[in-house]
Amino acid sequence: MKSKNLVKFVSAAVGVVVAMFFLVLLVAEPDNDTVARSPLLGQPAPAISSRTIDGESFVLERRKGSWVVLNFFNSTCVPCINEHPLLVDFAEAESSKPDGAELYTIINDDSSESIRDFFARNGGDWSKVTDDNGAIAVAFGVARVPETWIIDPNGVVRLRITGELTEGLLGRQVEMLREDFTS
Amino acid sequence: MFLVAGVLLVFGANRGGGPKTQQERIDLLTSNLACPTCSGESVFESRAVAAEAIRSEVARQVAAGLRTDDEIMGYIEQRFGGQVLLVPRADGLDALVWALPVAVAVFSLFVLFSAFAKWRGNRPPSPSNDDELIVARALDERES
Repeated sequence: MKSKNLVKFVSAAVGVVVAMFFLVLLVAEPDNDTVARSPLLGQPAPAISSRTIDGESFVLERRKGSWVVLNFFNSTCVPCINEHPLLVDFAEAESSKPDGAELYTIINDDSSESIRDFFARNGGDWSKVTDDNGAIAVAFGVARVPETWIIDPNGVVRLRITGELTEGLLGRQVEMLREDFTS
Repeated sequence: MFLVAGVLLVFGANRGGGPKTQQERIDLLTSNLACPTCSGESVFESRAVAAEAIRSEVARQVAAGLRTDDEIMGYIEQRFGGQVLLVPRADGLDALVWALPVAVAVFSLFVLFSAFAKWRGNRPPSPSNDDELIVARALDERES
């Protein structure tokens, strides 16, 4: 009799767990947000240093004092190509502001030649940073391109956008962050 | 047989394990990391761009000699999330991955043993001498 009660109790417990599991699946929002989570958010940006395709030195830490946008890019990736005009518009809009954000392309598994060709054809005069062996991508946990990161003037990572940018998204996010984090 | 097993166990436990060279360390670490853009492949096996980048970073950190294996795994985990670990950590909520199957196995064995014990207890008693006498008599009557 006692054993029967135990079996009933266990069956009921398993039933409740399974029901809760289905409830969670039913209620959970699909994870399709472009603004993504990362353990780096709110943390100092990884210390990265490299060179641009023009041979200039790039040290992220030296960019403190400005809002910095890093866009991980490959010239053969379709979403990267699609979002490129939006980045051109963003860079143009930011250049007219006194505290405009600095935009950098972080080259992901692509040659400097292809990048030069792409930008010559599609515009965009911001710096393109080489990422030998993918060290910068790993430092930010970037597995797929495109990804866009926003870093505040104190060098703190504020936002990660995975996938293709949508119209006005980057400008809106930078503006909101500026209001929230500029003292 | 037990002696042989015991000797082998002692030998195995005391044998100098673990990677010896930097390359062995890199191979071991990357074998325990999942490629973040593939399904079911480790960083060690995969030729995907992200896997190659992680492999290079692990190699760079091993060569620099500034971090232990655990710290290197922690660095990659912090960047790519816990799903990058092929062997889940045994602390915090992740410990459930290890503890739950053991708990379920122990509980199942307990339930099975309880059920067997109960069935054994319900077995009908052996026939008494009187019962055997009645059966023998009935058989005799049937034959006659």
